Amino acid sequence: MTFIQWIFLLGGLAVVGPVIAHLLAKPRYKRLPFTMLRFLHTSQAQSHSRRNLRDLLILLLRCAIIVLIAMLFARPMFLVRPELKETRYVHYLGLDNSMSMGYSDGSGSYFSKLVDSAVEYIRSADEQSVFNIFVSGSADWTWNLSKEQAIGAVRRLKIVTDTAHIGDFLSAFNKTARKEQLSGAAQLQGERSGSSRDVISISVISDFTPNTLDQFMGIVEPVTVDNIDYKAIVSSKAINNAAITNARVMGAAGGKLTVNVTVANYGQVRQNRWLTANTGTSKSTPVEINLSANQRRAYQVSIDVDMAGHEDMFVPVELSLSDGDGLEADDMYYLSVFVPERRKVNVILADNGKDEMFLLKTAMNALSRMNSYDAITIRQVLISDFARSEMSWADVIICSEITERLGEIAPQLKNFVKAGGTLVFFMTDKPSPGAVEELWSQNVLPALPKKCVRQRAYIQPKPYHSQSFSSDSRLAFQKTVNWAPDDIAAKSLTNYRIDRIVLTGYLECEPHPDSSCVWQLQNGIGFVYSRCFGNGAAILVNTSVDDSLGSLTKSSASTAFCRYLLGRSNQVCEYGFACNEQAMLPVWNIEGLFTGKKQFRVEGPDGRKRRAAVTESFLLIPASFGTGWIRTLTKPTMYAGINLPPGETDMTKPAPEKLAGVMNRIFLPDSHQSVITADATGSKEYKPFWKIFAWLIILLLLIDPVIANRMKR
Amino acid sequence: MKQNRKYLDPLFLSNLANMDLVARCAVEGFFSGLHPSPFHGFSVEYSDHREYHLGDELKFVDWKVFGRSDKLYIKQFQEETSTTVYILLDSSKSMSFGSSASVSKLDYASFLAAALSYLMLDQSDSASLILFAQTVIKRIPPRSKRTHLNTILAALQRNKPSGRTNLADVLHVIADTTKRRGLIVLISDLLDDEAGIYKGLAHLKFLKHDVIVFHTMDHQELNLDFEGLIQFEDLETKAKIRTYPQSLRQAYCRRVAEFLDDIKRTTGSTGIDYCLLDTSKPLDTALMAYLARRKRML
Repeated sequence: MTFIQWIFLLGGLAVVGPVIAHLLAKPRYKRLPFTMLRFLHTSQAQSHSRRNLRDLLILLLRCAIIVLIAMLFARPMFLVRPELKETRYVHYLGLDNSMSMGYSDGSGSYFSKLVDSAVEYIRSADEQSVFNIFVSGSADWTWNLSKEQAIGAVRRLKIVTDTAHIGDFLSAFNKTARKEQLSGAAQLQGERSGSSRDVISISVISDFTPNTLDQFMGIVEPVTVDNIDYKAIVSSKAINNAAITNARVMGAAGGKLTVNVTVANYGQVRQNRWLTANTGTSKSTPVEINLSANQRRAYQVSIDVDMAGHEDMFVPVELSLSDGDGLEADDMYYLSVFVPERRKVNVILADNGKDEMFLLKTAMNALSRMNSYDAITIRQVLISDFARSEMSWADVIICSEITERLGEIAPQLKNFVKAGGTLVFFMTDKPSPGAVEELWSQNVLPALPKKCVRQRAYIQPKPYHSQSFSSDSRLAFQKTVNWAPDDIAAKSLTNYRIDRIVLTGYLECEPHPDSSCVWQLQNGIGFVYSRCFGNGAAILVNTSVDDSLGSLTKSSASTAFCRYLLGRSNQVCEYGFACNEQAMLPVWNIEGLFTGKKQFRVEGPDGRKRRAAVTESFLLIPASFGTGWIRTLTKPTMYAGINLPPGETDMTKPAPEKLAGVMNRIFLPDSHQSVITADATGSKEYKPFWKIFAWLIILLLLIDPVIANRMKR
Repeated sequence: MKQNRKYLDPLFLSNLANMDLVARCAVEGFFSGLHPSPFHGFSVEYSDHREYHLGDELKFVDWKVFGRSDKLYIKQFQEETSTTVYILLDSSKSMSFGSSASVSKLDYASFLAAALSYLMLDQSDSASLILFAQTVIKRIPPRSKRTHLNTILAALQRNKPSGRTNLADVLHVIADTTKRRGLIVLISDLLDDEAGIYKGLAHLKFLKHDVIVFHTMDHQELNLDFEGLIQFEDLETKAKIRTYPQSLRQAYCRRVAEFLDDIKRTTGSTGIDYCLLDTSKPLDTALMAYLARRKRML
């Protein structure tokens, strides 16, 4: 036994105190006159010796307590000799089989070097070792392997087209390693003869690309291990690798799809390659790529797409670089492009000739110029001259107010909506009562305007789509109309600060039972009501064109508001995701495809079929490994391209100092384990012994009063 | 009865400064708590009539009165037989012991002697008081006058504990000097050589005296109910013992029990009435024992 703080042993000299007290102490007694002393004499001698024994025992007890406390403060350590033959070695191997490990410099791929290194490491381990192997590309653990099993498992590994999942590795390792240490410590504190101890070693073999290293640097909680080993697989030659890192669709016009492609040279070798786009049915003209070392540049590729008279469709565009570098997997890029059905929108703006619709018309023209719609034709008419013949031409009729004329043609307006048109009413403070009554009786009005309130009011910043006055109305609307004004377009208004738009007044409205309030004012009054019937919809905007609408159309939200009124645009969209992202496809893009469905079957790049959940506006596609296409298994087929994360194949060699710094920060030697020293006779281990001293002190403190009381009798 | 027993309680009696009052309280308190007239009416001279109570002997029923009135009456008679009672009161130092819960043994013995004297003189017996320690300290000759009670009570009040106990010799002296046969009441703690005491008592018994021994003991003497370290100092010999009484209690009680058993057995075998009195208990035990003995004598 040895003591770490031996100076505290001097405290043991305090035993002198009780000894002196014992020697000097005189018992305090009471004098009592008595008569029957002859009966007391017999037991007197026995009582006296018993008292002396008690005093001696108490003195010894108290001295022992003082000595033990002094020894406790001195931190006693016992020397033990662990039986090394029973020590168990547990090895955790983190092997990187991500896409970047497929790089080859002519002398073999990184991955083959990784396999060789791992096998060598396993062979050099103790015969009784246990191996737990994590492959970071596929995020798989293999547990409790013997030496031979571990070598076999390593040889069976393959590269996966995915990024390394370092977080999964370290979180799982931390949990299991802690368990191993605890069980080992418990055994160590048990019977010494049969004790065993786990020595935990971790070994990480990877190319430590910047992407992987960033993941290591993101680890917050360090890991405690006995031994740490890591090996960076790097090429001794100059890195030769280029990759397509991003692609964006610039437009679809004239039967051509234009895509901007970003190509990066991740190496030190100049890249002279060819970039090609392929849709399966057509192939683009190759574009020459010339990139110097570590250079990145965007190139434009055009590819023919047959868009004449087609319906909504997804075009899978596969972008590829010609051969010529050490890693081919990153030379591909998958981009799904949604090309909507060509749509022409005819709009009638009906006003009273005071050019109130000027701002609205301007906003719509802007939409047309932005190629959001193939063609928007706007015809401006006077409400009083509004002819029935105009309705057969129009897709959208926007009325600046409700006048007597609208009451007269109410049945025709109803038929217009039933046939699939969109009828929009703006309100003035004095709508024609007769017309309102007639339109209401024809079920054309989504809400019945009543009293005008001249109070300032602001628009609620969030849509009010959750409330529908009849539960079936929205569903019916979505079934029959190929766009849902209260979903995407309405929500897009939240991107603008429309809550700052002030209204000088509004009308109190009684909503139709089948209508829904899409937007409301901050005081709870409905701002936009919509009601769908037949194949079309009627919309009531609770403000006048020249009042608040002026502010709205002059604001940045004008485009979104016009898009809401006009319905779905012809915007081309692209869907390309990184493999560590949640892939989502908007559901409104496919007509009738998702009606009533909550789940959808999809096939991933790894060929596995999964279920994708349909949420309110999106199809949520479950995570899958690898790069390639995710496609729905029903017609019309939807595609989503899954690609490597940007920078995954950046083969920049890790700086040794930086790598060492990261590893030393993450992997720490276990400070809680006992200190092991080596000498000629073998390993010695000092175990802390303070618990026994503490328990002894407690025991003696408990015994002391017992002896003091019991021995009196 | 409970209310009346208050007058027999030694602590209550010790608060009464007048010994006459002590005697009166003790005796009248004793009688008022008893069944009506248990000891009355063993004479021939008519005294009075009273109503018949359950338990009365039928031979004392006045049948003539019953014939006239259909009610049962008992004839009461004036007692004619009297005896001489010698009260031997131990006044040694050891009798001065009294624990906090009770009066001293000497006080208790004095109350008892006063009460007995009152009772005896009330029944026309002659009463004598002998105070002793190592030797006879004071002797008051027997008289049956009522005024004799004052002499006895005055002697009791003046009596102070002194000297060691020499009971054996005192008993022999009294046996030698007492001419007339009578009832000898010994009130003592008997803390003397036991064999000598037995011989003295046997001497008295040999002279045809009726003997009653009232063994007065303090509650603490019987139980040694002390705690902590105590130095005991003998009242007579001044010897000292320092000890933890709780550690000796068991052995002590065993020894005391043996001592008391020995006295009880020896006195019983020689026809001597023995009555152990705990000074924390009322006086009625002693008075009852006296009356029982008195009845047997007549």
